[in-house]
Amino acid sequence: MKPAPFAYVAATSVQHAIEALAAAGGDGKIIAGGQSLMPMLNFRLVRPSVLVDINRIPGLDRIEDTGKMLRIGALVRHRLTASDPLIAHHVPVLHEAMNHVAHHTVRNRGTFCGSLCHADPAAEMPMMALLLDAVVEITGPAGTRHLPVREFLVASLTTDLAPDELVTAVEIAKPAPGTGWGFAEFARRHGDYALACVAALVESRDGAACNVRIAAMGIGDTALRLSAAEAALEGSGFSDEEITRAVSALRDEIEPMSDLSGSADYRRHLAGELARNVLGEAWRRAAPEVPA
Amino acid sequence: MKDAGLSVEMRPKMVGSRVKRTEDPRLLSGTGQYVDDLHPAEMVHVAIVRSDQPHALIRDIRADAALDVPGLIGVYDFTDLEGEVSPAIPSSRMRNYYATPIWPLARGKVRFVGEAVVAVVATSRYAAEDAAGLIEIDYDPLPFASDPADAACHDAPLLHEEAGTNVIISREFQHGDIDEILHTAPVVVKGRFRMTRKSASAMECRSYLAQWDKRSRAITFHTSSNIPGIVRDVLSSSLGLPGHRLRVIAPEVGGSFGGKGSLYAEEILVCALARKLERPVKYVSDRLEELSSCSQAFDEWMDAQLAVDEQGHFLGLKADVIGDIGAYSIYPWTGALEPVQVISFMPGPYRVEHYHGRVRGVLTPKPATGPYRGVGRPSSTFAMERLVDMAARKLGMDPAEIRRRNLIRDEEFPYRTAPGIIWDKSAFQECLAAACDGADYTAMRAWQEEARAQGRWVGIGFASYAELTGIGSRIAVAPGMPINTGTETSTIRIDSTGAITADFGIASHGQGLETTLAQVVADELGCAFEDVRVRQGDSEVAPQSTGTYASRSAVLAGGAATKSSRVLKAKVLRAAAMLLDVSEEDLEANGGVIRSRSSNAVLTFREVADAVYNRMGAIPHDKREDLVSTETYDPYLGTACSSTHLCMVEVDLQTFGVTIHRYFVAEDCGRIINPMIVDGQVHGAVAQGVGAALLEEIHYGTDGQLQTGSFVDYLLPLASNMPDIGIAHVEAELPNNLGGFRGMGEGGTIGAPAAIANAISDALSPLGVEIETLPATPDRLFRLVTAKTQEISSQEGNKK
Ligand SMILES: Cc1cc2nc3c(=O)[nH]c(=O)nc-3n(C[C@H](O)[C@H](O)[C@H](O)COP(=O)(O)OP(=O)(O)OC[C@H]3O[C@@H](n4cnc5c(N)ncnc54)[C@H](O)[C@@H]3O)c2cc1C
Repeated sequence: MKPAPFAYVAATSVQHAIEALAAAGGDGKIIAGGQSLMPMLNFRLVRPSVLVDINRIPGLDRIEDTGKMLRIGALVRHRLTASDPLIAHHVPVLHEAMNHVAHHTVRNRGTFCGSLCHADPAAEMPMMALLLDAVVEITGPAGTRHLPVREFLVASLTTDLAPDELVTAVEIAKPAPGTGWGFAEFARRHGDYALACVAALVESRDGAACNVRIAAMGIGDTALRLSAAEAALEGSGFSDEEITRAVSALRDEIEPMSDLSGSADYRRHLAGELARNVLGEAWRRAAPEVPA
Repeated sequence: MKDAGLSVEMRPKMVGSRVKRTEDPRLLSGTGQYVDDLHPAEMVHVAIVRSDQPHALIRDIRADAALDVPGLIGVYDFTDLEGEVSPAIPSSRMRNYYATPIWPLARGKVRFVGEAVVAVVATSRYAAEDAAGLIEIDYDPLPFASDPADAACHDAPLLHEEAGTNVIISREFQHGDIDEILHTAPVVVKGRFRMTRKSASAMECRSYLAQWDKRSRAITFHTSSNIPGIVRDVLSSSLGLPGHRLRVIAPEVGGSFGGKGSLYAEEILVCALARKLERPVKYVSDRLEELSSCSQAFDEWMDAQLAVDEQGHFLGLKADVIGDIGAYSIYPWTGALEPVQVISFMPGPYRVEHYHGRVRGVLTPKPATGPYRGVGRPSSTFAMERLVDMAARKLGMDPAEIRRRNLIRDEEFPYRTAPGIIWDKSAFQECLAAACDGADYTAMRAWQEEARAQGRWVGIGFASYAELTGIGSRIAVAPGMPINTGTETSTIRIDSTGAITADFGIASHGQGLETTLAQVVADELGCAFEDVRVRQGDSEVAPQSTGTYASRSAVLAGGAATKSSRVLKAKVLRAAAMLLDVSEEDLEANGGVIRSRSSNAVLTFREVADAVYNRMGAIPHDKREDLVSTETYDPYLGTACSSTHLCMVEVDLQTFGVTIHRYFVAEDCGRIINPMIVDGQVHGAVAQGVGAALLEEIHYGTDGQLQTGSFVDYLLPLASNMPDIGIAHVEAELPNNLGGFRGMGEGGTIGAPAAIANAISDALSPLGVEIETLPATPDRLFRLVTAKTQEISSQEGNKK
């Protein structure tokens, strides 16, 4: 449980970090909160030759309102995302999700962007970024590029990031006012990675659902958008039967894995049940006047 | 001295008071000193290369690449220690037993994933691990049977060829004619119960530091152990060093829960290396090593049947148990400790006349099982209490009532159980009643009815049990074990400054024994509680001791404290009588002050000590005695600690997660030394039982690999898993030992798994689901419920 030897660079600017990564010739690693990286280093599952610490780079630790978007910098800790009034006001579903991420000690260090880069299939942040159609701001030797998170997340623990690039921020479009939302997850202990998690956003236009967005995690190789279930509900009135149809579409669409904490059948069941709750909840918020 | 006017008998006693733990200021302020806090000069560190094979011959070990790592001191395999150590042999007088020798490093063959093969010594742990990563070991894999039922077959591959079998333990208890009873009884219930494998998971991982003193050719060994005396004795023969050249100290120990209650190969290793290198050698295991090589717990399959008459009286019990004891028989307890206790305690606190219990302990390629808080009884109580509830359900009888009818009654004590355990009088019935009262059982049932009407799965579960604690020399703690576990010694000394030091061989590792033993000494000696310093966990302060385990320290060390305090008090009073020129009978001592009842003259303990030691002639030279006494206590038999747990749980209809709504424990631990500490022990042990019931499970794949190598996969209970716990202390009759104490450190772990399993089964009883395997994970509950619902709907389909 001791990391293999590595060199250490405390970057003082984004440029400095990029140079350090480039100098490492593909063998460098950014360390942000270290909450995922340190265990991997200790188990010697990763053995970078250089660790590039971005914690001292000024200006990356804020959440900014840029008009249509909220911009979450690379050093925004879970603790801030969970308590930030802008998030609570504009993206309540994310505010709710953050309550389920780990424990205070981990939240004090772990970063939103670090979680995206780590791309754990059972983490909340990649899934919430997918739900919210977030855009990742990536800076490298060639400058800055913006990539939808759908393209950024490639596979379990794999992203589109080049070895000499870093994520400087993630941008989240504010959902339209009045957007209904729901979030539910089940973990065996509070703060653990979930056995399954589902979140949804929906708008109501005169009682018809539009812009239905459903995301889930814990039930596949990566966090997922559930397009079949979304399609099943788009334009619907979210009646019980329609929700049930969407839930079975969802159960058909996912391919959960069996592992120590749950069989595939159990996870499929669980995801469906969570979705049923979440969809009902989202619709009640979107169309409070319509009895669900 | 505000109480000075009261007679001694009327003054408040320390025993029975909620005294704050005197260990806590140092432990809570970070000034405690654990093994890893010790950094002697010139110290080197060990990293261990462990087997990644479940069963294989070691063909070749190549260390060349490792030798270049800066800071490397040396790489050692078993050949390097040949002739320097002899193995520890966990011997026993049991029949049909094979004692597997325990060597510091694997000798030519590995028997589980995680077994120590090569020791790498370097100037830092980092360097040692870097070098360890470069060592290559070639193995010739051997066939193995991971499942104990397969391993028990006569043609199974053998882990220890010398044993000629993997079944190295077999034992049977027979009383009456159980087969006849099962044949004729009106009601028989049965189940195949499975208590899965656990890890004790103390917060502090096992830590060892051996220092070789060249001048005296002696070793001082610091170990995170709760049996330093046993470790001293076995290392003495393994290393060939007499006790005065081998001091074993258990300093601050960060929990054990049983995991630090056995000898480990690494303890022999670290001492042997220190002597070889003539330098201090430290090894601190990490969590992966802890989960893959510390002793593990339980892992039993229990086929059990209970026969009952129409009135719910138990007629007989039959149990056939297989225990998966891992690859070695653990020292000193042997692999019999856990599985044999399962059948010796299966009848529990009940009247069961006809009994047949059979157990086999089977070697498999996993770490050895060993002591774990509750030993055997968490499993046996789980099986028995499940059968009791199944019988009650079949009879339509309230589970409290069926227990009331079968728990041993006052007039039946002392009661000899079918396997031969003697229960002295303890509050078996009273605890059941107190749990029902304390938790308001009637209200719980009403609440359950309401919840059920809303379609919720709410259930209530009991567990009644008794454990044998504070065992004296009449009974070996583990079957046939040739070590004396029946005595403890204490030496109490007042020195020339008046300071009082009480030395014990026991080894507190979180229980607060420094506080409780000082409470006993203060009352018995009549000194001030604050003036007593308790020393323990050091082989140098007692000629022999086996340590702290098996709920024995309050009874045995408390008894030793009582005896030596009384002898010492007599010496103090004899001296005081001479100094005050009164008779000894005229004197009383309390709070450090000795007072003459007739003259009201007073002397402090310090003044007496000053006179005895420093003032020549104050005491006539031929009457002068040192203020020291050493006494040993042997309670001979053991005493029953009894309890009933009562809880209410809810199973979520959607997630199958279990929430504990209510938890209540009524227990009889005899005279309570410190209610705050007793409550803390109950809370902690219930938490551990909640882990066993709902979360914790060590998994090995069919490939023999450990699948739960970190706390991401091995789930311990968190604060958020814990309910509030109500406690009622019931005192029926004080046991017949010095002090009237019963051991109570383990109980919660025994009751909680059974009570929770019963509550979940009650919650799911409308579907007919019975819990037979723990932990009851959401996935297991989902599968049980799905299977039952399918069964029910296909039956209904057939009817149509
Ligand atoms: C006990 C515990 C419980 C946890 N529970 C949860 C949970 O319930 N839900 C959950 O979602 N997470 C959980 N986590 C993970 C936690 O949220 C991590 O903090 C997070 O996943 C990673 O963020 P970090 O800032 O710590 O990243 P680090 O650990 O520093 O880095 C993670 C990876 O991302 C890379 N990286 C980090 N930042 C950047 C960047 N700006 N640009 C490029 N690459 C970067 C690193 O190189 C590394 O590969 C838990 C962690 C622990 C220790």
